This record gives sequence, structure tokens and C-alpha cells, in this order.
Amino acid sequence: MPVATQAAIKGLTPQQVEALGINLILNNTYHLNLRPGMKILKEAGGAHKFQGWRHNLLTVETFPSIHLRLVCLVTRSIDSLQDSGGFQLVSLSKFTKITEEGALFASPFDGEPTMLTPEESISIQHTIGADIIMQLDDVVSSLTVGPRVAEATQRTIRWLDRCIETHQKSGKADVQNLFAIVQGGLDPELRDQCLEEMIKRKDRVAGYAIGGLSGGEEKDVFWRIIKQCADKLPEDRPRYSMGIGFAEDLLVCVALGVDMADCVFPTRTARFGVALTLNGPINLRLSKHEADFRPIDESCPCPTCVSGTSRAMLHHIMTLETAAAHAVTQHNLVFQARVMGGARDAIINGTFPQYLKDFFANYFGDAGYPEWCVNALRSVGVDLLDGASQAKVVSGSGAKWERVE
Amino acid sequence: MASTFSFSIIPSEVAQFGPRLGSISLCRRDGSSIPEIKTPSFMAGCSRGVVPHLSRDHVKSTAAIRWANIPFESFLERLPPVPTLQPGPVPLHTFLGFQPDRHLLSLCAREPSDEREIPVNGKGFISTLCVRGVRKLTPSAWKSYALSCQPDIVVALSDNPLSQSNQSQKRVTKSLERSTAWLANLLGPVSSADHGYSDTSHPFNVLVNMVGGVEERARKAFAEALVETLYAKDQQQVHPLQRLDEGITGYVFEFIPLLRSIRARTVNNDRTNNTPPKIPPKSADGVSLDNEENQQLAALLKASLSPFPPTKVRVVYSCTSPHQILRLIRDIGIDVFDAPFVHRAADLGIALDFRFPVPSTFSPSSPRTREDGSRDLGHNLFNYAYATDSSRLASSFNAAAEPEKGENPICPCLACSPISPSSHLELSSAEDQEFVKSPPVIQPPYRRAYIHHLLHTHEMSSHSLLAMHNLSVIDAFFDGIRQVLGGPDGDGQFIKEVERFCATYDEQLEVFREAEVDWSRVELERGKGRLAREKEKQTQNDTTSTVPS
Repeated sequence: MPVATQAAIKGLTPQQVEALGINLILNNTYHLNLRPGMKILKEAGGAHKFQGWRHNLLTVETFPSIHLRLVCLVTRSIDSLQDSGGFQLVSLSKFTKITEEGALFASPFDGEPTMLTPEESISIQHTIGADIIMQLDDVVSSLTVGPRVAEATQRTIRWLDRCIETHQKSGKADVQNLFAIVQGGLDPELRDQCLEEMIKRKDRVAGYAIGGLSGGEEKDVFWRIIKQCADKLPEDRPRYSMGIGFAEDLLVCVALGVDMADCVFPTRTARFGVALTLNGPINLRLSKHEADFRPIDESCPCPTCVSGTSRAMLHHIMTLETAAAHAVTQHNLVFQARVMGGARDAIINGTFPQYLKDFFANYFGDAGYPEWCVNALRSVGVDLLDGASQAKVVSGSGAKWERVE
Repeated sequence: MASTFSFSIIPSEVAQFGPRLGSISLCRRDGSSIPEIKTPSFMAGCSRGVVPHLSRDHVKSTAAIRWANIPFESFLERLPPVPTLQPGPVPLHTFLGFQPDRHLLSLCAREPSDEREIPVNGKGFISTLCVRGVRKLTPSAWKSYALSCQPDIVVALSDNPLSQSNQSQKRVTKSLERSTAWLANLLGPVSSADHGYSDTSHPFNVLVNMVGGVEERARKAFAEALVETLYAKDQQQVHPLQRLDEGITGYVFEFIPLLRSIRARTVNNDRTNNTPPKIPPKSADGVSLDNEENQQLAALLKASLSPFPPTKVRVVYSCTSPHQILRLIRDIGIDVFDAPFVHRAADLGIALDFRFPVPSTFSPSSPRTREDGSRDLGHNLFNYAYATDSSRLASSFNAAAEPEKGENPICPCLACSPISPSSHLELSSAEDQEFVKSPPVIQPPYRRAYIHHLLHTHEMSSHSLLAMHNLSVIDAFFDGIRQVLGGPDGDGQFIKEVERFCATYDEQLEVFREAEVDWSRVELERGKGRLAREKEKQTQNDTTSTVPS
């Protein structure tokens, strides 16, 4: 699900996004609350109307449910905020103090201490009118260790209760869907505690998010936590993994039992000139593409590839004309949707293991399979190396990039 | 011929100078053609080969884009230039993603509205600018690039110096000689057999830049050289043409160097006369807006055009305002304009909101009026006054979803009349069929408040929406011009309407100046504490703002 932090997929109009076959986008409550602010959103009749996004019918469908027709708005606690400034989770914790009451932070407008309570976060999301709304949680960086992690986990559970309370009382429980966020850092025991408590509240939440990951932790730890959560969470509630964007991460998560994910990666990397393909990312800024008249991917149905936009043309305008960002954004969103659409079809047809093998062979065949992916998929009975005796396996994150040689 | 470009004036008999209606058609060698372009009209400017801020699907859905002008200099970063390597029958269209059956492409060497200082042109080359610095471009290279790219129209290389000071007579003479020689080179037979042109059919539709600076005599001399019958060596060079003008499709005027020279001369004259520099007069009734500068401009254009019959297309690059466009149509009979202020407005966050003929009434959501009573050409949507403004972008146009009674035409742009896609990509067999098959529906217009929000959050789609809107506004402007000219007593009515337009709308473009300030502020305020600083500005703005919301 593409991210529209500021009520716009960067560079594209809502109609363009819709034409790509995408019917689910994500806004950021924190950002929309700052600008344009709740008053303006209220006057405009909610976020859908404000940004001209009409896919607001809501049915939370069952697995695999990426094609929900809804707009999702996510509130995360302030210090795990993904800002548009960089790849890392931007920690605003310097300005933030988490108390039992809520998150106390210095207002970016006037520096005054401002309190965001779980109750308030829910009521803001009610104003915005999102179809899926998220509880306020207490996130610590996934690299944090010590008693703070346990404290945050326990508090997230307490805050969930307050969010549920507010949500149920508001009378909006039948039009908006509250998701709980499973925390617990990288500690399996804490995760278990959190899962246990949250599963108890299953009847009053519409789905579960897995939070507190994608913050720079080892990939090997990452997948184990995802698996732990996915194994325990109830089958009849969608699981949403926050901030997952690399194609290999997405597919591993799906294999482990995750239904939805969001990330700025495909759109942000597009603006930096990286086009995603089934054979790995292409860095269009490299001079090797300057006279290459092929489209990014001849088999791709996106408007950029279908209209024959060549790599040479994209190289010429990349980072200098906004039109280049638009073109590659369209392509990357379609790439992501193709990868996930293919996964859905493969699951329905019972060919998902083969799908994974083909994908990884194309994507990593020459660079080597990331070891963590091999291990993660083995844990669910898919052996990527089965039948690929020549395949290389590399340790580390294994993310693939096209660099200057 | 690579293509047949024909321009006809309606009616065929017209005065040498004065408003005129015309029609452009183009049929290429491969049989493809574009729909008729009615003139007066405009061409969309391009930057690095793309219409700024528009993706290919947006270019496709913007009917206002019929003729796109491509400055070539950015492609000189790499040699040979990449578009010259593009295979296929219509290389430039293919490479840049324009549609051969919809778009006419003209190719010129330099960005016509670039005012930056640049090293002087030499005896056998002009200086061009690209992101890697200055590149020399020779007439023979230019000819070979044009042969490979096959644009529908190519502007001949000319030595049109861009200088702040007056040019010496010697420099002007040089400019004339070089420009004539370079034109002859372009019009000369194509030697290379691989392009498949015979001697009798010339591959180019050529526009020639009318040079000569601010000397009427020099401008006239250049023009007369084009209609002179050539002899001996000169004639051989352009065989089978007898005169250079026979090979020319139309005439171009570059306003950036021209206006600069006029201003340099005015300042110089004032200095020698010991009088303070004149400020262009601006009258409340707008009738006498034809100030000295405009009169000089008209005289110079007339000097360049007087030796030619009025039958060829006349093009002006870098007009500064719609007012100037109207005067040039009225006084000279210019047919096609580029309109850099339209693109500039989209860059700056301005939604254009004007019409020709001027609407009979203005609503409260119309652009603000200045102290002298003139109305802005558009809305500076950066202004905080628009934060809660739920109007559509232009008060003088309706949205397709909200047709109101009254005289307002509908603005067809995707900001005012967005339409949901006619098809959705189906990337999985498990796709929700109701969504995939949903038919196109006209949607409500985007509101000023939303564009304001997008501008303040640096979202690129703000500029895309504004670019499409502004192109549609200027397209409707030209449509209005043609309708008035085509009516009974067209010319008389047109003159009246031009006066009314000039009296109504602000020609000083104050709204652009304000938007420039706001725009640069966004750059300055990026980074930590920005929201706080903006809040402060907003409070100040609230107390001083006179903009109606």
C-alpha cells in the first residue's frame, strides 16, 4: 500500500494512482494534524474529499487482503515517525516525553508542550474519517534494549484499552476499524506477552499491526519476530506489517503470514532515480543507461513502460525534472503491486512456493540469495536453494542495489 | 520533403500588419499528420524535452498541448546527443513521448526564455548552456542533429547576441552576416544519401530568427537579404532555391534579447540626455498602455517583416504577458506564441484565472484587485488566505462536475474537471472486479485549499495540477481571441476587447512577484523549526492580508 504522508502520493494525482489499479493508500495522521489541520479537514468533509480519493468503501477482507477498498490512516507515536527526510526512522524523541497520560512533545509550531493522548489520537482519526485507524502506541527504536522496552510494551497494551474505549463510545466503531499494534521490541518474551494480551481483546479490534520493526535491526531477528507474531495472531484478523517495502521483505512477510504492508520505499527510491524490476533495481542515474532505448521493463504494464519511455530519456531528466519522478513512481508502484498481485494469484492457485523460487532466482540470481531470506522461507517449508545448486548465498541484509562499477 | 507544413490565412487576402486568423496543417513523409491548429495560438514550452511537471499520461490528456517547442541545448551534455541515436520513423516524438498524430514539435537550439549571461557566439558557432557548462554548437552539427531527430520544424541557428549594452554597428553587421550564412547552410542540399532526400526536396521546415537588434535599418537589411535573388556561388549553395525566403516556413522573434536591447538603448539615451530613466507609464483606463517600449517593439517587428508578403507564419518567443500577446496580434499579426509566464505560474504556485473577452461580472472568488483597480491574472495559492478556500481554481471557469448557469465555460483541465480513469491495471486475477471495471466518472474539482496544502508540503502534484490548469486557461484565452476575430466586425470588436482586457487585468504581474517571494521563502525555511517560522508568518499575514478568502 503506497504511502501518501501529506494526502498525496508524491508526484501523482489520485486519478493517476487509481489507474495503476491501486485502491488503498495511507495518510499520516500526525502530518495531517499539523497541516492542513483538523479544522480544514473537517470543513472539506474529511480526508477522502480533501484529496479527491474516492475509494472509501470499507470491507476488511480476509487473507490475502492487500486490495481492500479503503484509505488507511496510521498514527504512530511520535518517535517512530517516518518523515520524508531520510531512510531511517526519524526519532523526534528529543522533543518527546512519553508519560502514562500520552506523548508530550514540543509543538513544531510554537515549541509549546503539547500532549497527544490515546483518546485524542482516536478522535483526530475519527475527524479524518479513515477506514482503518490505528491505536496510539509507545514505540521505542528497535535497537533499544533494557527495561524501557518492557515499559513501552506494557504501556502500549494499556493505551490500546483506552483507544478501544474511546472508539466504542464514539459510535464510529461500525464505520471505522481500529487496529492494535503489537509491540515488544526484539525480545521474543515481551512479544509473547504483548500478543497474549492483545489477542484477548480480539473481539474489539478489527486487525493487528506488527510494529517496532524496520528500524535497523538485523534481518535475521526481523523475520523471526514477524514469524512469531504471525503464528500467534488469530487467522480471522488481517495482519499488517508496518514499514516493509523491499520486494524480498514483502514476499518473506507474506510467506510468514502477513496480509498488508506499507512503505515509502517504492515512491521514495523512484524520486532518487531507482526503478524496480523483477531482475533487481536499476539506478537510472548511472551513465550506463544514457543511450539505452529500452523501457525499464518491456513486460511491465505501467503507463511509463507502455508509453515507451526509454531508460535514456529517464536518465536525461532524472532528478532535474519532476516528470522523471512521476514516471518512475508510476512504474515502481505497479512493480510493487505486480509482485503482490502475483503472490495473491500464486496463493490461490497453490503455487506460492514456486512463485517465491522464481522471484528470488530472477531478482537475486546473479548477486546471491540473502541468507536470511533462505532461512526465513525454510521455516515455512520453502527451500529456495532446492533445485538451484549453483546459487550463491550472501550474509547480511542482502539488499540489492545497482552501483557505479 | 520530410513533411508538408502549410499555413493558410483566413481570408487569404489580409493586410501586411493587423489581426488575422490562420490555420496550420502538417503532413509527414510517413503519412502521419496532426489535426489542424487554428491560429492565433500558442506552443507549450519544454524543459529538457518534457513539458514541465507533466507525466506522459498528463500530456496526453491535456488537449491544450498541440505544438511543443523543444530547446535542444540540454542534450548537448553528451555527444553525440542521445535523441539523434533514437531509432524509428519519428525519432524526436518517440524519444520524448509526444504523439505524432497529435503533437507538432519544433526544435530550437537554445531555451528562448533563458536570460543568463553566456559567452559570446563565435564566427562559426553559438554558445549554448547545459548542466555541464557551455557547449559550442556549429551550423553543420545543428543541421545533422535536425536530420537525425526529424522535428516537424527546425529553427535555423542565428547569431542573436544577448547583451546588456548597446551593440556596435560592427557587431550588428557580424550578426547579420553569420545568421544569413548559417541559414543558407541549413537550406543547402543534404549531401548524405542515407537520409534518403533528393536534391529537389528539402528535409526541413525552417523558421528563421529575425535579427538586427534595435536598428530598424539593420533589421530591414537582414530581411531584404532573404528575398534577394542569389547568384553564382551563393545560389549554388542553396540550389535549387533562387532566394533564401523560398526555403523558409516562417519568421521568429526572440523577445528576451530584443527587449533587453531596447531597454539598454533607452537607458543610454536617457543618460546622454541627462534625464532620469523613464518608468513605463500606467494609466487607470488602460487605453494608453501602449507605451514607448511597445511602440518601439512594433516598429522593429514591422521593419523585419515589411519585405515579405504576409502569408507565412509569424512566431514570437518569450512574450511577457497576455496583454503583450493581444497587442502583437492587433498591431502586427503574430500567429503563434510560446508563453513562458504560463509555465512560470505553475512553478510558482499560481493558478491562472483570466479570460478573453473579459467576463462581464466577477465573483468574490475572483483574483484580487490592486490599488489601481486592475485585477490579478491569477491566484498566488501559497498565500495563507487560501488555506480554507474551498473554491475551484478559477472563478472565470466552471468545473465539469459543477456546471453553473452563466457565461463561464468549463475548464477541461484535470484539476478543474478530474475524471476517474477509464481503465485500471489488473495485476492479479483476484482483483476486485467492481473496482477494476468501474467506469470513468467526472469528479469534483480540486479546491484551492488542497493545492495550498500541497504547495506548503512541497508535494510535486501541486505543480502538475497547476501546469495542466494554466495551459488550459491560456488555450481558452486564444480560443476567445479567435472567436472575437471570427465574428462580424471581428477586427473592430477585437480592438475594443483588447482595450477592455488591458484595462481590467494587471499587466505589471504583481501576483508573480509576490509568488516569487513566497516561493523563495519555502526554500529558505526548509529544515528544523520551519513550522514555527511559518506560523509566525501566517499570523503576520492574517493581520495584513487583503486577499478575500
